[in-house]
Amino acid sequence: MDIAVLVKQSLDVQQLVVDRSSGKIYLDEAPTKAGDIEINAAEEAVRIKERVGGKATAIMLSCWGTSGRRIKEARESLTRLLAMGLDEAILLLGSQGMDSYAASKVIAEEVRAGSYQLVLAGEGSEDNFSGILPGRVAAELEWPYVAYATAIEVSGNELKVTRSLEDYDEVISLRLPAVISVTQEINQPRIPTVLHIMKAAKKPIVQKEVGSFSPKVKVRELKTLKVERRREIIEGDLDESLEKLLKFLKSEGLIEVRS
Amino acid sequence: MRVLVFSHYLDLAGELISAGMGVGEVSLLLTSDQKDKLAQVRGARRAIVCDSISSDDQAALIDLLTEVTRDHDLLVLSSDKRARELAGQVAQMLERPIATEVSSMRSEEGKLVVERMTLGGKAIAVEELPLPAIVTVQKGKFKPPEGPSVQEVVEVKLGGATRRYEVVERRAKPKLGIPLDKAEVVIAVGRGFRRKEDLKLAYELAETLGGVVGCTRPLAADLKWMPEESWIGISGVRISPKLLLVIGASGQQQFSAGIMDSKVIVAINNDPQAPIFENSDYGVVRDLYEFLPALVERLRR
Ligand SMILES: Cc1cc2nc3c(=O)[nH]c(=O)nc-3n(C[C@H](O)[C@H](O)[C@H](O)COP(=O)(O)OP(=O)(O)OC[C@H]3O[C@@H](n4cnc5c(N)ncnc54)[C@H](O)[C@@H]3O)c2cc1C
Repeated sequence: MDIAVLVKQSLDVQQLVVDRSSGKIYLDEAPTKAGDIEINAAEEAVRIKERVGGKATAIMLSCWGTSGRRIKEARESLTRLLAMGLDEAILLLGSQGMDSYAASKVIAEEVRAGSYQLVLAGEGSEDNFSGILPGRVAAELEWPYVAYATAIEVSGNELKVTRSLEDYDEVISLRLPAVISVTQEINQPRIPTVLHIMKAAKKPIVQKEVGSFSPKVKVRELKTLKVERRREIIEGDLDESLEKLLKFLKSEGLIEVRS
Repeated sequence: MRVLVFSHYLDLAGELISAGMGVGEVSLLLTSDQKDKLAQVRGARRAIVCDSISSDDQAALIDLLTEVTRDHDLLVLSSDKRARELAGQVAQMLERPIATEVSSMRSEEGKLVVERMTLGGKAIAVEELPLPAIVTVQKGKFKPPEGPSVQEVVEVKLGGATRRYEVVERRAKPKLGIPLDKAEVVIAVGRGFRRKEDLKLAYELAETLGGVVGCTRPLAADLKWMPEESWIGISGVRISPKLLLVIGASGQQQFSAGIMDSKVIVAINNDPQAPIFENSDYGVVRDLYEFLPALVERLRR
């Protein structure tokens, strides 16, 4: 089985600094990384390969510019995925203004150029979490798409996918080729050893410029959220911190306390 | 502008119709299992009824939605998982732009301008979409309309939908109707609780405060200690209580994105470096196993 794993180079939102008073969002300063759920997707690809044989390739589209630093971060993320057991990686150098329409055109073109039968992706990217891209890629390829997989069984040309919706768990049967998005719960990704990482440094990462598809969506503005938190830390011994907390809650009119 | 509205969950349709009414004239698409609820629909001018496809038939809905959307300038969907599975496919088939989890929208010179949360809840993006377009709407942001009932009913037939996959088994998840998104007081618990039985501490606190207990994703999705509908965050429920107590949860951005609209946030965590303290009004750096029983005891007094 020839598997492609779609990996977004996401902005690390945990480390993203926003200054609420000036409204500045430090996008360029924040690091990027492969999204956690895409790491689950990569793990699943390796497990499928271990069961039925084949090859797995990471396809990463850079969305936060192509500066030296961004490329270095992308290659580091890809090396880690290779160390987990993927065979090859392709780094597509995209532009920062790309929307999901343009991104899926670029990705589908890359998938078509290979001989993949299965495309795995995450249920949503870490920075945007719209969960739209895998469906767009599937439609572009005219392959069936099943989202939110929590288990994937392969037998020959058939897939049995268990997936989790808000109100139901479903088991779906379909034929390859297909696009599947996975959730974080599908597996526990392996942690590559230093030795694996050193070996992975020898595996190929092919870097490519991509075709230009003009985006349809234009981001006019990024605004910080208005909410300002007090960030008060309540200290003291147990009784004292209890009293302080209750006093605060009372002053906010949130509880009534008899003293 | 011609707006088409569809949701698998008819109780969300009101919010979507209201969002659509702000920019144009709304038609509501109803599947075979939904059409008997037609009389309850308010605000939509037209109902488009498809008798041959039911709302749980995702594989066939792709073709239906693509066909019917073609004649509309805007497709408005809810932001649940089924809708998102369809939205991307329909958008690419019709080569249309999309914005997800939209919290406001307006039309402006032939364009749609929307606001949506992005960057794990740290920012709001103002985006401009050329028409025709597709949006999914954030739950709870639009008020269901009063309005007149449907004035016109049109039937659509769809010959030979392509069946892309078969559902071979379907198991319902327990549905408890936990009103997290409407609760005034929420207790959110995280992996700081070591055993399922220990959640009793949180339920006791909820009882004394008249609140509802919610949780982080791992407690519901991984450990399955709590029902699916109790999970708060970017991939779960967004809440807006007057008081939120976050207990034993680190406050990773994907969780915090779901609590931004809370009025007062109190965090209890024994790690002074936990990111949740950045997003809190009051933070207590303490072991929950020591603090919670004492808090409950004090409140009961
Ligand atoms: C794309 C994506 C979407 C996601 N969506 C969501 C989502 O919607 N909702 C969500 O919740 N998560 C989501 N996650 C997961 C999220 O990133 C975190 O992994 C998760 O929120 C962590 O849960 P937690 O805080 O319970 O656990 P942990 O991060 O393990 O935190 C446990 C906390 O408990 C504290 N603690 C431990 N013992 C004690 C004690 N005795 N007393 C007091 N405190 C204690 C620790 O200091 C720690 O801060 C998503 C992840 C991704 C990648």
